[in-house]
Amino acid sequence: MARGGSRRITPAPVAVLSAIGIAFLAVPVLALVVRAPWSEIGEKLAASGAWVAFRLSLVVSLTAAALSFVLGVPIAWVLARSSFPGRALVRALVILPLVLPPVVGGVALLTALGRSGVVGSWLYDLGIQLTFTTAGAVLATTFVSIPLVILSAEGGLRSLDPRYEQAAAAMGASRMHTLRRVTLPMLRPQLAAGLVLAWARALGEFGATITFAGNLAGRTQTLPLAVYEARQTDPGAAVAASLLLVALSLVVLVAMRDRIFGR
Amino acid sequence: MRRWSAVLGCAALILTACGSDDGSGDGGATAELTVFAASSLTDAFTEIGSDFEAANDGVAVIFNFGSSGELAAQIASEGTADVFASASESYMDDVSADPGVTGRTDFAQNRLVVITPPDNPADIRSFEDLGNPGVQVVLAAEGVPVGDYAREALDAAGIGDAVLANVVSNEEDNASVVAKIISGEADAAIVYVSDVTSQVAPDVDAIDVPDAVNVIAAYPIAVVEGAQDPETAQAFVDFATGPEGQATLAAFGFLPPPSA
Repeated sequence: MARGGSRRITPAPVAVLSAIGIAFLAVPVLALVVRAPWSEIGEKLAASGAWVAFRLSLVVSLTAAALSFVLGVPIAWVLARSSFPGRALVRALVILPLVLPPVVGGVALLTALGRSGVVGSWLYDLGIQLTFTTAGAVLATTFVSIPLVILSAEGGLRSLDPRYEQAAAAMGASRMHTLRRVTLPMLRPQLAAGLVLAWARALGEFGATITFAGNLAGRTQTLPLAVYEARQTDPGAAVAASLLLVALSLVVLVAMRDRIFGR
Repeated sequence: MRRWSAVLGCAALILTACGSDDGSGDGGATAELTVFAASSLTDAFTEIGSDFEAANDGVAVIFNFGSSGELAAQIASEGTADVFASASESYMDDVSADPGVTGRTDFAQNRLVVITPPDNPADIRSFEDLGNPGVQVVLAAEGVPVGDYAREALDAAGIGDAVLANVVSNEEDNASVVAKIISGEADAAIVYVSDVTSQVAPDVDAIDVPDAVNVIAAYPIAVVEGAQDPETAQAFVDFATGPEGQATLAAFGFLPPPSA
């Protein structure tokens, strides 16, 4: 795409490889569209409980994205701005969920926060159970989404020119005031990108959720889980529910494209 | 440049390693037999498979274990199975309609059992206790044979509604149901007797489901239409229904088929 009027010629190998790559990514999605049971899509979506799962998916993924943001940005701050022994290890630990298979995250959460888990058994004695609850689904989803906020925000903090903050401080602004009026506004693109990526990841979360929170319609069955369950009984409904997820994800990614890729 | 040649060298090494691995074995060409089997058969069929390989030189049995419904759908769309062993007659019906089967026969039966964690936190003493208020019950999802049979048994006992209200999770397969009990996350679950393997047994308590309401599931096996080598496939079916296969299945808690 030509930008600012400057036309660039794409080298042939780049054009060919990119065409193959785009086809590889686009064809499966288009196949869903082609094979969707359009004539009865309303009934299929209703029968597979996709709408209930859709609503739950919105609640769970948005809550998880917000939690990821609230916890992830301070983590990024500490990693980027302070130095303490073991920082590299801490960074590896908090980024780990990004590369772990989500089911491993689910198992780890179960051993920590399950009813008979290390911390969970103690919570359970207080009358708090997280497994099989919507809160549990949110926690499992947050676990896999946080690293995206951390990576994005830490990258932004490290590339920030410190002189702006120094100038603010020199002019007598308090630390909190500098943070709110100088640092965070300058980080907006990275924070927005982290938030959207975390949300997109949360929307697609499957393994950690089903392992830790189980699969119950209306409580922990998010749209990906509903798709998986529908495959057993009604493959057409699974395709219909998949399309719903694709559509939702696409709408948000397209709407947010400028925030992720700069303008 | 040097890095690339190192990568290529590694790739070549891996390829040749694979090649020689295929060639070794029994010296002769190895024929692969692909068996799609219900996940409840995982342990028993893994053993039957290696016994079959030992008895048939040059045959390598490859298993695809999964939920019977999913396997039936995979066979219909991809058609890569030589033998299908299902935990339910209805999914075998699907496969015999498309793409078709030969030599269909029942080779085992299974019955339902209630399992709880060893400390039995909800104090479950009978099948009916599953309907007590506040009991956290885990079932296999609808469409998974053991999940459908469990619901059938609950309805037969007249506690379907009460227990379904207690369900905290509908799991995708037997192993996931058992895992929720072993980890102590749920109070009770309904699985097959064969799911309580010797490895699982120390970590769960089993409570009988009365004969009057228990659902006895028959397991059919058959050669799938379009099998690479129908003779070997039939030989595997015969092996599973024969004395050796039956002994293995019995050792893993399966009941003999209805005719036997």
